[in-house]
Amino acid sequence: MRKLVVYDTLGFPTPQDFLKFSEGLKGAGCDIYEVGLPPKYAKYDGPVIRRSHQTVSKFGDLSGSLKEAVEVSKVPVVVLTYLEEHLDRLREFLKSLRESKVEGVLFPDLLIDFPDQLEAVVSKVRSEGLKNVIFTAPSVPDSIIKRSGEITDMFLYYGVRPTTGIPIPVDVGALIRRVRNMVRSDLIVGFGLSSESDLRSALRAGADGVAVGTALITELEGRGVTGGLALVRKYREILDGA
Amino acid sequence: MFKTLGVSVAPMELNPRDIVPEFWYNIIPDLPRPLPPPRDPPGADFSRIDLLRDIMPQEVLRQQFTVERFVKIPEEVRDRYLNIGRPTPLLRARKLEEKLRTPARIYFKYEGATPTGSHKINAAIPQAYYAQAEGISAVTTETGAGQWGTAVALAASMFGLKSSVFMVRVSYEQKPMRKTIMNLYGADVYASPTNFTEAGKRALSRDPNHPGSLGIAMSEAVEYALKQRWKYLVGSVLDVVLLYQSVIGLETSTQLEAVGEEPDVLIGCVGGGSNFGGFAFPFLGHGTKARLIAVGPAEVPKFSSGKYEYDYPDEAGLLPMIKMLTLGREYVPPPIYAGGLRYHGVAPSLSLLMQEGRVEWREYEEPEIFEAAKLFSETQGIVPAPESAHAVKAVVDEAMRAKRDGERRTIAFNLSGHGLLDLSNYESMMKRFKS
Repeated sequence: MRKLVVYDTLGFPTPQDFLKFSEGLKGAGCDIYEVGLPPKYAKYDGPVIRRSHQTVSKFGDLSGSLKEAVEVSKVPVVVLTYLEEHLDRLREFLKSLRESKVEGVLFPDLLIDFPDQLEAVVSKVRSEGLKNVIFTAPSVPDSIIKRSGEITDMFLYYGVRPTTGIPIPVDVGALIRRVRNMVRSDLIVGFGLSSESDLRSALRAGADGVAVGTALITELEGRGVTGGLALVRKYREILDGA
Repeated sequence: MFKTLGVSVAPMELNPRDIVPEFWYNIIPDLPRPLPPPRDPPGADFSRIDLLRDIMPQEVLRQQFTVERFVKIPEEVRDRYLNIGRPTPLLRARKLEEKLRTPARIYFKYEGATPTGSHKINAAIPQAYYAQAEGISAVTTETGAGQWGTAVALAASMFGLKSSVFMVRVSYEQKPMRKTIMNLYGADVYASPTNFTEAGKRALSRDPNHPGSLGIAMSEAVEYALKQRWKYLVGSVLDVVLLYQSVIGLETSTQLEAVGEEPDVLIGCVGGGSNFGGFAFPFLGHGTKARLIAVGPAEVPKFSSGKYEYDYPDEAGLLPMIKMLTLGREYVPPPIYAGGLRYHGVAPSLSLLMQEGRVEWREYEEPEIFEAAKLFSETQGIVPAPESAHAVKAVVDEAMRAKRDGERRTIAFNLSGHGLLDLSNYESMMKRFKS
């Protein structure tokens, strides 16, 4: 079955609604829940997700919300955050995630800004009882995409655009065909994949699932939890029907 | 991997259509490590990446971000390539070899043979083609020496587009003939900084006699395109430009193969890096063992003094940040210097390969490249562009090294342009460096 990966920023749109949204995800058809911890510099995020980081910064310490979200969502939770900010205290950081019962962790800047530390970080994540989700992109050379496919634990994340949420014109099918046969792991495709035609080309080209974020944040901003969950259900239908 | 003819085909049998490739080559899938992507600055007030959608023709942007090893060249573009005389000649510099008494064999790909006198046309044609196909009426760009501006002016006229070129003021004043050619092709040419963009006004308010820089002219062209709802054509640095320029190296590879040669050393000069990448990267795609040498000016010391970091390609910061070797976006080259290659940064893919040590670099001073230009003119007859004279200087050094080592190395370099419209530069050098 195709996997639907849903992103939300921790505590967005409000800590209460964040939990309500988390609670409804499984029923709406979400398979994996990606929770974003607001970084100082959201290098690969577009204006919408950056704005969600600002919104939640008003709510103070949200670490308790992470644990609660894991409990209520009842789907595996992957934490998404930039490695740059945790490199100094990586072990403590990973321990805290494990204590919140998080399943895996995704560092979008691991391969790109710290390629030499790939194997070391991957083992450290495992030794703390967490799973790796390696992030790749079209700017990653073939040899490294292959290697990433071998060592990623849950699935390989492939971001088809340079930044989340911005509909830069790309040939989604061509990008996925390039990497599909290089990796045997599950291939989950994300970054600006909100349009139905993009989703369908991704699946046709061999993606095992899709990750959606910006469109949901926009929906949560506008129509709240009900709207957000309705959109999750719509994506589920596309995945099941396409 | 590449469409090649095989060694069995004699040089006489090469037909232009067999040499001009059917696909462009992209190095990114073959790089030794991930290429850091363009990105928005921290706490940005607007998304530069989003703005690209208004700045560039859609298809050019699509090719910038749809990374594939090979990209089909549209038949219409290939036809234009043939029409301007592609493949460009691959010549052997026998008289230079004799003069240097070197055992090395020296070949050069002569990009000066195109109507605009440089390699720049290779990237202008596809961009103008895509712009026209998207219903765009006019395009803008910047130019320093005028080679890129000339290429855009010609490509625009080929496809029935209007063009406006922002030319770095100091060049505008020193190179009236380049302006004449651009006008002849139908382009409007402005001396940058102008007072009809915010970026230009800011520079003029700092210094009313501002000599201009490529970074400022680039910001002006981008700003003007946005204001007029035209599109901006990009002349170097971005991956997509190096992709278009790969015709140089792909042809060279076929041509060398046809004469049974394999290069030991590949040399090119570097402004933003497009002729170097276009020439050398297809060989890397083949898995060449050759040494690669990028050559720049000591007066614009981006290799020796540049930092490898995220910086803006343009002075005003309207374009996304890219990770490159850079002297800083506000860098203004020394005013007296006439050797070209004045851009403040180096293409991200080339920067990465230099950081990795796969591409070596050299920096030469103006008197040295002047001497090399003279030597090349006297032996081979072609007056090289001052930019390309940097490559010539490195070729001479490598030929002498082969002589010291007593080895019959094959040196291939890209003669990126001719210098027939840069004679004022040479005149200035002759006055300053009595030889």
